[in-house]
Amino acid sequence: MANIHSFESLAALDGKGLRYAVFFTGCPLRCVYCHNPDTWHKSSTDMSADELFRKIKRYKPYFKNGGGVTFSGGEPLLNAEFINEISPMLKAEGIGYCLDTSGSVELTDAVKTALDNSDMIILDIKFADKENYEKYTLGDFSMPLEIAKYCTAKGKTLWLRTVVVPGINDSADDMKKYAAYVKENGISFEKYELLAFHTMGFFKYEQLGIENKLKNTPALSKHRLDELQKILDGELNVTA
Amino acid sequence: MAENKNAWRDFNLGVWCDDINVSNFIKMNYTAYNGDSSFLEGPTERTKKEMEKVHSLLIAENEKGGVLDIDTSRVITILSHGPGYVVDKDTDIIVGLQTDEPLKRGVSPFAGIRNSVQACNAYGYEMSSKIKDEFKYRTTHNTGVFRAYTETMKKARHAGILTGLPDAYARGRIIGDYRRIALYGMDFLIEQKQADKEKLAEKEYLDEETIHLLEDLAKQIEFMHQLKELALLYGYDISKPAQNAFEAVQWLYFGYLGAIKEQNGAANSIGRIAEFLDIYMERDLKEGRINESQAQELIDDLVIKLRLVRHLRTPEYNDLFAGDPVWVTLALAGVTGEGKHMVSKTSYRVLNTLYNLGSSAEPNITVLWSDRLPEPFKRFCAKVSIDTDSIQYENDDLMRRLYGDDYAIACCVSAMKMGKQMQFFGARCNLAKVLLMALNGGKDEIAGDQIAPEGKPFGDDILSFDEVYNEYKKYLSWMARLYVNTMNIIHYMHDKYAYERLMMSLHDTDVERLMAFGVSGFSVAVDSLSAIKYAKVKPVRDERGIITDFEIKGDFPKYGNDDDRVDLIGKDLIEYFYRELCKTPAYRGAHHTLSILTITSNVMYGRKTGSTPDGRKAGEPFAPGANPMHGRDSQGALASLNSVAKLNYACCRDGISNTFSITPDALGKNEDDRISNLVTMLDGYFEQDAHHLNVNVLNREKLIAAMADPTLYPSLTIRVSGYAVNFNKLTKDKQEEVIARTFHQAM
Repeated sequence: MANIHSFESLAALDGKGLRYAVFFTGCPLRCVYCHNPDTWHKSSTDMSADELFRKIKRYKPYFKNGGGVTFSGGEPLLNAEFINEISPMLKAEGIGYCLDTSGSVELTDAVKTALDNSDMIILDIKFADKENYEKYTLGDFSMPLEIAKYCTAKGKTLWLRTVVVPGINDSADDMKKYAAYVKENGISFEKYELLAFHTMGFFKYEQLGIENKLKNTPALSKHRLDELQKILDGELNVTA
Repeated sequence: MAENKNAWRDFNLGVWCDDINVSNFIKMNYTAYNGDSSFLEGPTERTKKEMEKVHSLLIAENEKGGVLDIDTSRVITILSHGPGYVVDKDTDIIVGLQTDEPLKRGVSPFAGIRNSVQACNAYGYEMSSKIKDEFKYRTTHNTGVFRAYTETMKKARHAGILTGLPDAYARGRIIGDYRRIALYGMDFLIEQKQADKEKLAEKEYLDEETIHLLEDLAKQIEFMHQLKELALLYGYDISKPAQNAFEAVQWLYFGYLGAIKEQNGAANSIGRIAEFLDIYMERDLKEGRINESQAQELIDDLVIKLRLVRHLRTPEYNDLFAGDPVWVTLALAGVTGEGKHMVSKTSYRVLNTLYNLGSSAEPNITVLWSDRLPEPFKRFCAKVSIDTDSIQYENDDLMRRLYGDDYAIACCVSAMKMGKQMQFFGARCNLAKVLLMALNGGKDEIAGDQIAPEGKPFGDDILSFDEVYNEYKKYLSWMARLYVNTMNIIHYMHDKYAYERLMMSLHDTDVERLMAFGVSGFSVAVDSLSAIKYAKVKPVRDERGIITDFEIKGDFPKYGNDDDRVDLIGKDLIEYFYRELCKTPAYRGAHHTLSILTITSNVMYGRKTGSTPDGRKAGEPFAPGANPMHGRDSQGALASLNSVAKLNYACCRDGISNTFSITPDALGKNEDDRISNLVTMLDGYFEQDAHHLNVNVLNREKLIAAMADPTLYPSLTIRVSGYAVNFNKLTKDKQEEVIARTFHQAM
């Protein structure tokens, strides 16, 4: 059984083609800029692999063109064993899956299997240095790197993502640091995209009665995001 | 047919040469096109000049409150008005206007004189006493209907359980096969009708239906001659077949023009013409008579004329069909029965008019989608949707099974075989209100009148699903019988007093008739039943003892989330209602069909319906067509599509309309992704035997801004319910309803 927060039947941005996104609950990170604090704790929806598989299978007609399921969260890799249970069912139907992860889990055998069987992985690069990583999240800086290196070694399709927060990691220097981190560690990736910090999840903090440490931080403008993406691409020698 | 030698030069000959068989002609002669859109040409200088005139006319029309001018001096018919041009005789290529000036509307009181008088008054005009006098001695369709209506019919109509019926306006939804004029010329078509008539007269016993048909044929032939005269007014002789692409377009358009001068039906569609016309274009291109730019110009000019079609309507009519639509529905693409796709270069040229002339609600371009359409064409359609929000998609793989490979779409979603089937249009009944009536023992929950037979009263306890559904079904059966009989009266009278002489002359004489029923409030009824089944719903009564509200405790599954618990209630409900309709025979041997389509009457129907057990409050709009209720489809776009896809087209073969709005950001990161994703989405939806999808790719903010300042987006076109409208032409309450709809967005 897995505890599930919600579903989004059309998540065209989280992977290739049309995606059916499954949001698991539970995440150890507590990033200050999290826009889904409602996934931190358990919901009332528990599902067996079989139940979830039947739900996903309904969307098979839309999974051409590289589409499939995206396991997101929360932290999907906390449910690696569950994913490994559902994975052969999906495979038998020709449905591939993508993992949308923060990488802040231990690289256990179950996690390795879940990564091995996936079509692709979207990995959050939250910060390029230990100090900030530990300042803004409760995670272990080394874990995502281990995951990234494992994916690279296995030749997995990897997309990297970084949420850019005004006043925290929105300078040109920050972009240089991210690029250096990726290069120095020899992470091979297909795409590295920046996401803008937004305030649309703020109401959730109020609803849940959780302190929102960034309540005075504005959203990052689309314009600035595009500028930063260009700088990052330049550092990475990527042509847009 | 020796005299056709030149007109038919280089065509592959076949059975179409001896009998009217346009479908056979197309299949033997069309050129399938597998390439992309790169061959397309922009507008010519001439087209631009004509469009400048059109723009200034549209601005003037808008400034005058929606109606530029009305000719109140005479009744509009085929020959009532002399030639008229958009720019002038030399500039217009394709010629012909309804009256003598563009956008000037004619008065056509055959369906109802009172409506025409009111429509004139609403725009500050007075109908001439000449017309009023003429109609003193003429029975209109409306008068005929009300002579025969029973008291129950009038009550049901007044209460809003049966509304929008074509009993005071012309029924429309009939598509003349205008292609026949281009291919065969009028003389041959007239000869055929005369032969049919003579053959019919040879019958030993002339029963009522035969006499009826004999008179129909005489009327048809009379108007076929009038159409020839109309063409002569513009200097063209259409007795013989078209000799080239220009004539093919012009001949076909004359047929359509004559039809809309004679009739002002709710929807007068033009049919499936692109692939037919392409055969003439290809021949002219090969012969070097025209180049691509000229081929496009012909289509552009035809489309300009189609965009200028106007009818005179009352404000009440606008409540049902908002935005001044005429539904010049133009169906294109699709696949032949042999499995070959029918995309031609002219399919592209028609879509290209949305770039050359700007986006527009008319003609209502309908892509007959199949997984077998060539990939570049699918992608071009998706691009046009994303750029213009002006086209709709219907499932050819589904419709071809029932209608063959030469059908077209009338209005929004009504399929019919070109020239072989016609439809008796029947608006819709209000499923949500019938449920409230069942709960109230046959009383109208608003006025309190007893409308349906008295039923078993419900107590004040929590409602039991089984009891409610049983009682609901009894009232649905009552409703079905009343509905069919009401329609029988309407169409008997329409045939008698407002028969579509020209349109029917472009059909086979032994035409197959479909009687199209419809429902509104579908998602409200379904969610209400689900609430009663899965939550705890208690009735709340007013001082009259009538249930006017509900206390709802607990949650319940809602239609639009791909949840069988509720979706299958909807499927069962609609199948039951269809079976009940079929139990009462339809006028003139028509086959019963059913649609889940509201056009924009979902707002008006909602206004006439009390609070419902799903939590919707009295007066609030329904969702349009088969759409899930606004905002209740919370699991994203595909879940919403999957719910609608479960409905059974076999019992809703007049169409299942779904209008879908998604923000560009949710559809994909860049244009290429958006196009691929939209194509994949359409393929996936239709693969599940879903019927129809209106696609809007836009942000809600844009609509809100346009509502506040219409000058920001003067030609903002959106798909609403089986058709497109200019957003600025909608009334405020309809704009609000459109804005309240679910917009699937990126999280």
